[in-house]
Amino acid sequence: MTGTGDQAIALRKVLVIGLGNTDRGDDAVGARVAQDLLGSLPADVPVIARRGDMLSLIEDWDGYDALVCVDAAAPLEGPGRIHRIDLRAGALPKGISLTSSHAWGLAQAIELARTLHLAPREIIVYAIEGGSFEPGAALTPAVAAAARVVAERILAEVHRLRYDSIEEVSDA
Amino acid sequence: MATKTIRVEYLTRVEGEGALDLEVNDGRVSSVQLNIFEPPRFFEAFLRGRGYTETPDIVARICGICPIAYQMSAVHAIENAFGVAVDGQLRALRRLIYCGEWIESHSLHVIMLHAPDFLGFPDAIQMAREHGDVVRNGLALKKAGNELMRVLGGREIHPVNVKAGGFYRVPSRAELAPVAESLARAHELAVSLVRWVAAFQFPQFERDYEFVALRHPDEYPFNEGRLVSNRDIDIDIADYETQFEERHVAHSTALHSLVKRRGAYLVGPLARYALNFDRLPASVQALAREAGLGPVCRNPFQSIIVRALEIVYACEEARRLIAAYEPPSLAAVAFTPRAGTGVGCTEAPRGICWHRYDFDTEGTIQMARIVPPTSQNQPSIEADLAAVATSVLDQPDEFIRGRCEQTIRNYDPCISCSAHFLKLSVHRT
Repeated sequence: MTGTGDQAIALRKVLVIGLGNTDRGDDAVGARVAQDLLGSLPADVPVIARRGDMLSLIEDWDGYDALVCVDAAAPLEGPGRIHRIDLRAGALPKGISLTSSHAWGLAQAIELARTLHLAPREIIVYAIEGGSFEPGAALTPAVAAAARVVAERILAEVHRLRYDSIEEVSDA
Repeated sequence: MATKTIRVEYLTRVEGEGALDLEVNDGRVSSVQLNIFEPPRFFEAFLRGRGYTETPDIVARICGICPIAYQMSAVHAIENAFGVAVDGQLRALRRLIYCGEWIESHSLHVIMLHAPDFLGFPDAIQMAREHGDVVRNGLALKKAGNELMRVLGGREIHPVNVKAGGFYRVPSRAELAPVAESLARAHELAVSLVRWVAAFQFPQFERDYEFVALRHPDEYPFNEGRLVSNRDIDIDIADYETQFEERHVAHSTALHSLVKRRGAYLVGPLARYALNFDRLPASVQALAREAGLGPVCRNPFQSIIVRALEIVYACEEARRLIAAYEPPSLAAVAFTPRAGTGVGCTEAPRGICWHRYDFDTEGTIQMARIVPPTSQNQPSIEADLAAVATSVLDQPDEFIRGRCEQTIRNYDPCISCSAHFLKLSVHRT
C-alpha cells in the first residue's frame, strides 16, 4: 500500500491507538487490537497502545489528519458488542462509557483537543463492550472475537482514511 | 434542633475515588469526614519477599502521576540500608528526573484541575473555550515535564530506568539538548502562569499550620534533607516514627498521619515553600513577591500560586542541571546487599513520601512501610473543611459544596496513592 502511486496522491496521515490496561480483563481489548494490527498496516500508519495518562494522547495525535481509537466500554447491550462512533457527527454518545477512574478519560481528552483545535479532523472510535474487568483475567471469548473483527474493520477504515474516500464503513 | 447534611457523592478533578460528609447542628459544623473508598492496595504486603532490584519498579505502580517520588524514596532507602553513596552526576540526574515529575504533575493540577474552581468553570474543557491559550500552554508545560521523564526514565508513566545505585542507562548530552530547548520555552510559560493565577480572587482564609518538609543545607528539597517543621521538629528522616504516627479511621481506607501528642500537620508545596523560601533562587523569590506572597503563605487557596512557582523553580533547576551535565562513566554505583533497615524520604509533588524497608542478607524485603503524602494531609484537609464550611454556612448548599470541593483540591490529593481517599455530604440538624 505504499508504492509510488500512493506517494503521488499525498495520502492523509492516519494514527491508530489501542487503549486499555492489559492487566484488567476486557479492558485490554484496545491493546489486543493494536497488537493484532502490528505488521498489517501500511508503513506510514503507526499503531500504538496506551494506558494511563489520557491527556498525553493529545501529544500522540499531534500532526495527524485522522485517528482511529479502540477502547473497552462498560457493558450496555452485551460483552463483545461493537460500537463505531464517527466523531464528525458530534460528541461521544452519552450512553457509551469510556471514562477513566482518574480525572481524564478518552472522551474528555478528545473534547478538550477539539475545543483547542488540537484534534485530528476525523476521529473514529471503536468501543467494544466488556464483560469482565477483573485484575489478571484474560479477555472473555466474546470480546476476544470482537477484537479480531475490529482489527479487520480497521484495516479497511485506515485504507479509506488515507485516501480520504467518501466511502462509509457501516455500523455493526 | 436543626440538622443539615451536605454530601459530595463523588469528588471530581482529583486523582482517585472519595467523598465528603459534612454535618451541621444548630448552625455549627459538628462533623467532617473525608471518606476514602478507593480500595486498599496492599503494596507494603506485595513487597515482602521481593528483592531490592524489583522494588523501584513495583513502587512506581503506586501512582501514575508521581511514580518518581515512590522510586526515589525507595532507592534512597535501599542505598541507606546497604551503605551506598550516590553523588556527582548520578545525583544530579535524580534531581533532574524529579524536576520532570514536578513540572508534569503541578501543571496538570494547576491548569486542568484547580484553576476552573477560581474562574467558575465546571472543568478545564469549559475553561478552554474562554482561556484557550492558557490551556494550550498548560499542555505544553506538561509535555515538557513528560519529555524529561521519558528521556531519563524510559517512559513518562511508571518509568523503568531507575535503580538502586543510579540508573540502568544514562543519557548523552545530545539527548538532553532538545529537552533543554523545551525547558527554556516551558520556563517562560511557567512565569506567565504564576502571573495568571496570582490575579485570581482568593477566599480570605488562613490557618496556623504545622508545616513539615525536607530541608537541605543548600538546595530547595527533592531527594535529601532533614525533616523539619515550624514547631521545632528537626530530625533525621530515620527518626520519622519517633515524631509521627498513623491511625486508622473508620471512614477512610487511607490511614491518617499525625504529629504525636499534637495532631494534624501539612506537607506539600505550602510547607516546602514556608520552610525553604531561602533556598529558592532570587529570581523565584522575586516572582513570589510580585505575585503578592511573603516567605510564608498560610492561605491554602493560594497553594495554586506556590505550585506555579515550583514549576518555575523546576524549569530553572532542570536547565541548570542540563547545562552542567557531563555523562558519568558508570550508570550506577556497584554495591553488595546486606541485612539491615533503610529509610528514604523525598518530596513528591504533594509532599514528603517516606519509606522504610527491612532487608535480609540477600537484599530481600522482610518488611515495608510506605507513608504517602495524601494520607499525611488528610487530618489537615478535614480541619480546613470544618473551618471553610463554618465561614460559608449562611450560603446555599450548592455554594458550600463547591467551596468544600475547592478546599480539597487545594491539596491536589492523590487518593489512589493514599488508599490508603471523594463524594460531599452536609448533614444539618
